[in-house]
Amino acid sequence: MKELYRLEQLRYRYDKQQRYALDIESLSFEAGHLYSLHGANGSGKSTLLNCLALLLTPQSGELYFRQRRVQRGWFSLPRLRRHITLVHQSPYLFDGCVSDNLRMALRLKGICSNQTQQTIDRALESVGLGDFHQRNARELSGGEQKRVAIARALALQPKVLLLDEPTANMDKYSVERLEQLICTLPDQGITVIIASHDLTQAQRLNSRIIELESGRLLSTDDMGLKEEAYA
Amino acid sequence: MDFIVESLRTAFALILSLDGEVFNTVGTSLTISSMAIFFATLISVPIGIVIALNQFSGKTFCLTILNTLMALPTVVVGLVVYGFLSRQGPLGQFGLLFTPAAMVIGQIILATPIVTNYTLAAVVGSDPRILPTAQTLGAGPLTGVMVLVKEIRFGIMAALIAGFGRIIAEVGVAMMLGGNIRGYTRTMTTAIALETSKGEFAFGLALGMILLSVALAINIFLNFLQQRSR
Repeated sequence: MKELYRLEQLRYRYDKQQRYALDIESLSFEAGHLYSLHGANGSGKSTLLNCLALLLTPQSGELYFRQRRVQRGWFSLPRLRRHITLVHQSPYLFDGCVSDNLRMALRLKGICSNQTQQTIDRALESVGLGDFHQRNARELSGGEQKRVAIARALALQPKVLLLDEPTANMDKYSVERLEQLICTLPDQGITVIIASHDLTQAQRLNSRIIELESGRLLSTDDMGLKEEAYA
Repeated sequence: MDFIVESLRTAFALILSLDGEVFNTVGTSLTISSMAIFFATLISVPIGIVIALNQFSGKTFCLTILNTLMALPTVVVGLVVYGFLSRQGPLGQFGLLFTPAAMVIGQIILATPIVTNYTLAAVVGSDPRILPTAQTLGAGPLTGVMVLVKEIRFGIMAALIAGFGRIIAEVGVAMMLGGNIRGYTRTMTTAIALETSKGEFAFGLALGMILLSVALAINIFLNFLQQRSR
């Protein structure tokens, strides 16, 4: 399998913090797989996702993306980011209706074609919001807003989809539907990395589990963790 | 009291009769201040965004200077620009003194700190998720900032309104750099000062009422835009 990310001695510390929020000796992700980052609050899951999304610049260490060292340049980062989309734990939706949000994302990525409306329809349908086109995005519930953000990310057809607590605030039906959707993404060539508290979700998704604790890598032994979780 | 009532009646009559002198003065004011706020916006909005989004040594000092410049006395700006534009000054050869161009320059200097500060406050107070969201959706550095500007457009519009309010109501720059030349550089504020000193209180009052109406119209327009976007 092709290596997608490789992290070497990667360290990130937030301003005015004594300890590193992320301190990883070595970790790699293969393309076309589904990964779950698991750990307690403050274990570094979101920080790792933000580093993988190239939104945070680590203070030390190296990050390789598609076997090339990531250069922190004014133009190189936006170019690399075009392959990666992160859906934040509390996603920001732009002012306007649901369709406007997806259209804006497509425009930002430079995807403007006569297929735009179909892409929007398909993305919203996939998250169960097919009839939400004209709804004001800011007036939706937390779970619905998250689904809009996921649809917006999927419309961009990224190579890597990073999801921070994707099923938080969602009802059971929506969780099931979203999990089914996530399971199909690796077959479409999309690598999915999810940060989640819920270890049972990792098993349902049949994902590779990466356990973090206090910013450090605890284990990548997915089978062992799964057995332990359901023992 | 009769004096006030009579003056008010005359002022209304001047406005309703579409008095040429009054409307010429109003037109000059609006043209000069609109041009000044346009150029001030081109300068101030990018500066405000750059200062707000970047951490650099001396940022606190920079903010203190900007805050101080917000209270810049108009006559001091008039005096300094006068020095530059007067015949003996470094820019005297251009013959700009007592022209609308000189007034525009002075008003740009007055409006710039205000628009910069308000823009800066709008960016600092904006949702911190806007830029990372734009970046993760594929925006480059400039398009990311454009998204930010779009999302905080009402804050920036408030900056323009505040800047416009400051320059349309100022007297010092208009008087010192425009010279209050009838039909050329005479603005509402300089005309009010002149006509009142000549005893033409009703004329001054008419211009004062129009000045207030302009402020009201701008705020109604801003509210209309805000309502329409929701």
